[in-house]
Amino acid sequence: MIDPLLLTVYILIFPGFLFLLAYSLFFQYIDRKLAARMQHRVGPPLLQPLADFIKTLGKEVIDVKGVDRGAFSAAPLIALAAVMTAFLYIPIIGASPLAFQGDLILVLYLMTLPTLTLFVVGWLSRNVFACVGAIRSVTQLFIYEVPFFLVMLAPALMAGTWSVSEIVAWQQAHPWCAVLQPIGFVIALIALQAKLERTPFDIPEAETEIVAGPWTEMTGHRLALMKLAFDVSLVTGSALITALFLGGPEVPWVITPAWLAALAGFGLFLVKTLAVLFILSTLRVATGRIRLDQLNDIGWKYIAGAAVFQVALVLVMNAWWVQP
Amino acid sequence: MVEVMVPIGPQHPALKEPVNFRIYVEGEKIVRLDLDLSYNHRGIEKAAEERNFIRVLPLLERVCGICSHSHATVFAKGIEEIMDLEVPARAQYIRTIMAELERMHSHLLWLGVAAHEIGFNTLLMWTWRDREAVLDTLEEMSGNRVHYNMNEIGGVRLDLSEKQVAAAQQRLPLLEDRIAQYVDMVSHQETMLIRFRGVGKLSKEEILKYGTVGPTARASGVDYDVRRDDSYLVYDEVPWNVVTDSSGDVYGRTKVRIGELSESLKIVRHCIENLPEGPVRVASTPKMAPKGEILSRYEAPRGELAHFIRTNGTDKAERLDIRTPTLANWTSVAKALVNQNLADIPVIVAAIDPCLSCTSRMTVIDTGTQAQGSISWEELVRKCRARYGMGVQP
Amino acid sequence: MSVIREMLHNLVTKPFTILYPYEKAPIPCTFRGEVAIDDDKCIGCSKCSLVCPPQVITMIDGPREVEFKGKSLARKKRPQVKLYKCIRCGLCERHCPTGAIHLKDTLSGCGTDKEAVIT
Repeated sequence: MIDPLLLTVYILIFPGFLFLLAYSLFFQYIDRKLAARMQHRVGPPLLQPLADFIKTLGKEVIDVKGVDRGAFSAAPLIALAAVMTAFLYIPIIGASPLAFQGDLILVLYLMTLPTLTLFVVGWLSRNVFACVGAIRSVTQLFIYEVPFFLVMLAPALMAGTWSVSEIVAWQQAHPWCAVLQPIGFVIALIALQAKLERTPFDIPEAETEIVAGPWTEMTGHRLALMKLAFDVSLVTGSALITALFLGGPEVPWVITPAWLAALAGFGLFLVKTLAVLFILSTLRVATGRIRLDQLNDIGWKYIAGAAVFQVALVLVMNAWWVQP
Repeated sequence: MVEVMVPIGPQHPALKEPVNFRIYVEGEKIVRLDLDLSYNHRGIEKAAEERNFIRVLPLLERVCGICSHSHATVFAKGIEEIMDLEVPARAQYIRTIMAELERMHSHLLWLGVAAHEIGFNTLLMWTWRDREAVLDTLEEMSGNRVHYNMNEIGGVRLDLSEKQVAAAQQRLPLLEDRIAQYVDMVSHQETMLIRFRGVGKLSKEEILKYGTVGPTARASGVDYDVRRDDSYLVYDEVPWNVVTDSSGDVYGRTKVRIGELSESLKIVRHCIENLPEGPVRVASTPKMAPKGEILSRYEAPRGELAHFIRTNGTDKAERLDIRTPTLANWTSVAKALVNQNLADIPVIVAAIDPCLSCTSRMTVIDTGTQAQGSISWEELVRKCRARYGMGVQP
Repeated sequence: MSVIREMLHNLVTKPFTILYPYEKAPIPCTFRGEVAIDDDKCIGCSKCSLVCPPQVITMIDGPREVEFKGKSLARKKRPQVKLYKCIRCGLCERHCPTGAIHLKDTLSGCGTDKEAVIT
């Protein structure tokens, strides 16, 4: 068992909360810079996300008359706490010290909390646009959550364990799950894009249709923290996909000094998450928004169908391929 | 289900100009809508009655920023017809070049805005980047990116030099290449196809019944273009085609506008290559116009623009009435929106290329009952005299 | 597909943005900017004041001997422009017989006091 001081440093500083916050601001920068360059624009400078965060923190908080202020203030904090906790269970420099059997389910559950808090905020604001946006976000949640959970299930079935750290360890001895389950990998990326409410799935926040959806009545520090929660969600989601499909931070060969192995693993982790971000950014820039009823159509017919097919395939492969 | 009223505007991220829609929805299906168009009313028709023909043209240009040349040209050509002036050929060619360049920049702007309404910001950035080439050409020729003020009664204000013509010619191949790329993109980009196809469909009979004009009408198979059917400037000398489509939905309108982009480019190229020599204005412009009435029509980028001008022998117009294409197209929006999805509102509204600065008419709202209506001229004069205690000239 | 190809191509090309104020956009010679008056060419005919659409040019006292078409004239008045109200249409430049009033390629700025007069 790891000693408590080291555990505290792991949780609070590196690779815990401080690193996570810095990395999520960096992710936002890379996302915006990539999107801008692909559109032939310049894009923001490196510290822009930090500047935006600090500026939004200092803005006036406008309380709508007759709205529950406690719920409004608590919602962004709950969302932020949930995704930051989820990140702790994902291997960054080797197995997570908090790993246990079933932490995959815990991570997936914690990652749905931001959307649910967004729904609560939108529902409680006495605003037509926020209400419509909240309903859309919950409808979208139902549509993508089923395929997302199913394809996250598939690597767990193949590795025979419910712990993310052990799935990563399994991938050190076997080919990556992205190679073994390509359909699952593609669907995981699409479903993550829908979870993060980015184009083509930014239906709840459709700026040109319903102003800002559930975000309409959020102002000041509540908006800053909720946005930060979604940024952290992007990092956590990318890290989860890296861990489950791309082998996480494990180096495919053995490196003798332990600190060098950890460093190499961390470097690989950064490279892989940035690669996932590149794919997500390209998807965001290359498409327009689809309608909710069209998402319903595509989601249930093709995405959920393919996810079920992938799980069935994994079960068949498990039966035919004897595990060592 | 309960009817919910969703207000779109007057401030809304989807709108570029203030307008108020009150949309009644059940779930996500639209039941009906109410319009209020009066937010941009500036009293230009009245102000035009107090300016002589030299001073009125810059005022009329400012009815709209994007179709500014249209308003100035249609008024100038109407007055020239009343005065029976023969405008020299070089001036007509220069006017046509500016008109078609304006159509190109307007359609490129529209393509970007339509993409923005469905969240496809990449196409917005790219089309507006290519539009810069057109705006640079217009700036070199006239001195300003919009509001060119090229027209005078009897000709144009400035001549085109060799350098300007050569610079314009140099930009055309790049634009041609980009337009071909947009044709390809629009016909293959999945999200644009599924958001635009089948949305806001209007049949040919409905179009004719509601008096819709411009690319909106041509997309439903109505083969009518003022440049061909009531020809003016040099459109009867230049080879070009009217672009129509038969699908009648937003995708058809997109195809018509992109087709018109290619046609405009061909017209500009032809005019630049065949620019005749000669003066750019008549030798002397009369100050007064004889008594007369004229309905002058023009194909603005958004459709048929009509100016009704009545002159009475002085150097000012006695009455000017402007019927812009967007005003004619609002009924089609109101009808096309019924039974569509809430998410399709910005798409259908953007499909007629609304220009509210052109459209605005006065609306009278009773603040007590919130009833809306219009008001007669005599009633307005009476109310103003009572309220402000001033004499208002009828 | 052509969209993605163009996007990736854009990643490796220089952005289209002009980094104002470090880079400047090219200004053509026909640019309609600030109104300027050449005092030694103006003959005080008042044409600019008559054609101005927003009527921002007033003629004030400005006697001076000027040369016009080889002859010497005793000018009585000269124009004064309310620069913040000017719409930069270029009609004054177009109708001036001597080219005294013209539009430069600098911007005239804007202010809240529309009656501010800067000759």
